[in-house]
Amino acid sequence: MMSAMHTSEETKTALHAVVEEMYDKIVKGEPPTMTLPVRTKNNIGFDDKLGVYKYGKKRSIRDATSLGSAKQLLRALHVVEFIEEMIDAGKSSTLREMYYISEAWGLGKFSSQNESNNLAEDLEVVTKCMREDFKLRPEEDGARMIGNLTLRERNRRGEWMRINARDDVGDSGYGVPYNVEEEKIELLEHDINFIMAIETGGMFDRLIENGFDEAYKCGLLHLKGQPARSTRRILKRMSEEWDLPVVVFLDGDPWSFRIFASIAYGAIKTAHISEYLATPSATYLGITADDIEAYDLPSDDLSSRDEDALKAELSDPRFADPWWQEQINMMLELGKKAEQQSLAKYGLDFVTDTYLPEKLADLGLA
Amino acid sequence: MAGTAERMASNQKQVAISEFFEKNKHFLGFDSLPRSLITAVKEAVDNSLDACEEARILPEIKIQITKLDSNKDIIELKSEDNGPGIPKKSIEKVFGQLLFGSRFHAIRQSRGQQGIGITGVVMYCQLTTGRKTHVRSKIATETSAAIVDIGLDTRKNKATKSGEGRELWELPDGTLKEHGLEITARMKAKYQRGRQSVYQYLRMTSIVNPHADITFVDPDGESHHWPRVTERLPRKVESIKPHPHGIHLGTLQRMCTESTDSRMTVFLRNNFSGVSSRAAKELLAAAEIEEKAKPKLLKADHYRALLEAFQGERMLNDKPVKLLNPPTNCLSPIEELLIKKGLSKTIDSRYVTTMTRAPTVTQGNPYQVEVGLIFGDGMAADKPVEVLRFANRVPLMYQQGGCLLTKAIESVDWRQYGLDQAGGRGVPKGPAAILVHLASTNVQFTSEAKEALADNAEVIDEVRKALLEMGRGLRKHLEKKKKMAKTQEKFELVNDIIPAIAAKAASILDRPVPNLSGSITRIMGAVIAEPTTAWNKETKQTDVSITLFNYTTRARSYTLLASWPERDGATMVNNEQGGRKEATGVWAWKLDTLEPGQTITFTYSLTGLERGDWTDTDIFYRGSQEVIGASKMDEKLLEEIRRQEAATTGEDEVSQDEEVEAAPEAVSENNAEVPAKTGQQTLMGFGGDE
Repeated sequence: MMSAMHTSEETKTALHAVVEEMYDKIVKGEPPTMTLPVRTKNNIGFDDKLGVYKYGKKRSIRDATSLGSAKQLLRALHVVEFIEEMIDAGKSSTLREMYYISEAWGLGKFSSQNESNNLAEDLEVVTKCMREDFKLRPEEDGARMIGNLTLRERNRRGEWMRINARDDVGDSGYGVPYNVEEEKIELLEHDINFIMAIETGGMFDRLIENGFDEAYKCGLLHLKGQPARSTRRILKRMSEEWDLPVVVFLDGDPWSFRIFASIAYGAIKTAHISEYLATPSATYLGITADDIEAYDLPSDDLSSRDEDALKAELSDPRFADPWWQEQINMMLELGKKAEQQSLAKYGLDFVTDTYLPEKLADLGLA
Repeated sequence: MAGTAERMASNQKQVAISEFFEKNKHFLGFDSLPRSLITAVKEAVDNSLDACEEARILPEIKIQITKLDSNKDIIELKSEDNGPGIPKKSIEKVFGQLLFGSRFHAIRQSRGQQGIGITGVVMYCQLTTGRKTHVRSKIATETSAAIVDIGLDTRKNKATKSGEGRELWELPDGTLKEHGLEITARMKAKYQRGRQSVYQYLRMTSIVNPHADITFVDPDGESHHWPRVTERLPRKVESIKPHPHGIHLGTLQRMCTESTDSRMTVFLRNNFSGVSSRAAKELLAAAEIEEKAKPKLLKADHYRALLEAFQGERMLNDKPVKLLNPPTNCLSPIEELLIKKGLSKTIDSRYVTTMTRAPTVTQGNPYQVEVGLIFGDGMAADKPVEVLRFANRVPLMYQQGGCLLTKAIESVDWRQYGLDQAGGRGVPKGPAAILVHLASTNVQFTSEAKEALADNAEVIDEVRKALLEMGRGLRKHLEKKKKMAKTQEKFELVNDIIPAIAAKAASILDRPVPNLSGSITRIMGAVIAEPTTAWNKETKQTDVSITLFNYTTRARSYTLLASWPERDGATMVNNEQGGRKEATGVWAWKLDTLEPGQTITFTYSLTGLERGDWTDTDIFYRGSQEVIGASKMDEKLLEEIRRQEAATTGEDEVSQDEEVEAAPEAVSENNAEVPAKTGQQTLMGFGGDE
């Protein structure tokens, strides 16, 4: 199950099922419909077999009784047709390109890029295919990686290139491509004990400058905020294929908690492919709510949006375990949040000399 | 030596008149360079409109402004009209004498209640540029036009003339001008754009003078034209005698001393309106003045006593003396349809509503309120609405905040009528302009500047009432628009989107395009009426087309009714569907049964209307299933309209239809619910106000 990819025929068949639902409804004299899982936190549940959060049984029916949803259906048909054309022609396009191509779709054209992104996700959810199957690429570039690990990547000419993410790269590290499936990337070997995923570029660069990856024999992965799918996917592959622990080092605020949840348990928006993207074994390293007090970190007051986000997390099934409930409540009580880089209060080396070793020791990793 | 003394004396006098002008220029309208120009245009245009009105000529006015020296702000104003012209010998009186004319004493609605007249312009030009004003005047009975340069002798308050002569007034097309007046004035002034500009003044003037054709050439040489939208001249206004409620002590005293009447009873009856001979006797009794006393010989105490009797402070048998209201035929409202045309002329937008209240009286002065509202595209949605204020057809351009008319607008909670308004007070925001016109024999201003109307609780209430009624119309329009947008969406859904979905799905699956009727019926689940009303350029008729779609699974039958402007003199033609008259302005068609999926369209045209007179047809229905796009007929209201018609025509000429079963009790009960209208019941009342 290493690859999420479907064959072209599988993908087309899955897409045709969506079209058939609409067609059959019209033949029956009913408004055409598209049935899809409800994509909110109220419809995600823990899948014991997969160890991640997946969509539950709630379905919503998008039917063509209002102008808005009818247009959605028409757009979906145009997208299906477009994907088929790309599959047949052996091409791919970015989501943004598709948005511009839709200019030619008349009544079915998108009015915003957000709409086209959402529809691509809708189709993934309904067909259980991935957007790679659809030949659609995201805009966002993948993350950066540094450490003594070796993989091979197939380049545009179809040749395999062997890359060591410590010796063969510059200071910016190895750039993770948008497709990290097996036909594109093979994980070869490593000499590391764990992988650390880091939220901000500033902290990533700090650890590199301080030689943290060598000192603690780890791979460093820059998440760039909310991580792209390929970032989460490669993290999962490394964790599973190399059987490595994953620790996640983020800011200490409600949004970072959500980033962690999407890495470890699956994101609400992509719960249909959680088993491909989520790394259930990942551990939240910091900044925790108690770090703010324990290390007396410079902090900011929670905004009302922050507070609302924390409160929403209290009822999010992914944060249902006691440790998270305690952290969230503690942050609410403190009324404070802190950034990763606030550790610099104690000097540039504090994070690598003191903070991380202490936190890693708690986990038995240092 | 004597020469020096004379010169000094004359200098003093000259200084005095210039000083008078200088000191009072704020209320003469010459306090700033931009305003001076507007005032000059205003005086010229007012004169032209008044002269045309009196001579019963449809005015054609052309204003041209040229910058002669922009460094020194020297501007030339040229104003030309097609009025009767001024006889040569009167030119110097009109242009060269301050306070000439009868405007200051006549009690009637007139424009000239503001400003000091065109003489002020002549004086301003002389004071700021040293130049005389060039006048060219042509009257119909003479072949050539008189020309003269007029200045002002500030010592004698008399005209100075030069360059007198005669010339043929040739028009650009080579013909001779029949009659008219042209003024060329050079002054220190500044041309500005915006809310307080010559452009805005002329635009507003054209709104309230729909019978005038106005052209304006601005300093950039760009020409703006506001065409005439009606051939009908404003009603000739009658002078009326003062009413006792509106008289001041000084005026009363002057009237008495100047009177040649032999006795007080005659004096009161002859010189005042609203005073019957019974009332005259009662007033005198209350004031304790002898009936046969000679007005000329009245004493100071008597004036005061009489005034107190006028105002009901001195009573007779503990009751104030009852007086009749003054006649109101002295007012000349613009009238709803013309305001509508005027508004749509200068603002290109879709929805216009107007309201003319019945004339009424405050403090002995007849007055009448008119309001108009234009709403829609082309105006800023996030800015305060444009307030267009008028007093006796004269635009008010300054001191908007302190004006009664603005306060009345601000006192209305416009939010309930679909406009934005912070806290429900103040000038509302939205893509709209609100017009308020007050016509009165005695307009009360807050100050001599005559730019803002003074507070008066009765007048403000009257304006408010008019605005509220207009607001209800706006709300109904917006609701209707919303409904129509929804219907429009449904149509787009079943006519465009569903067929596109079917076609695309079929092509992807490589199967035949399925039949859509079932899906469409399920989606619509309603009967829909779609009226269109459009002006036909070729036939000069208003074409109306009404389509009824049955998008339900059952057969339906209806009687459809439509509003049409019968009252405005329209005639219905090409109405092949027949039908019958239900009431004035309401036509009805009994339709054949409409099968599921069936559509029926019927058309007719209206003649006797001009473009823009009728742009929106209201549709009503009788039948059990709701019709989207139409309102259920309010039978009680229809009956009420019929009843009113019967009352006004005297004869019941309306065919009493057996279908309408409104019990007499229901009708009389309903009377109380029908909102009191000032005019006749109209279709505005249809469609449910709730």
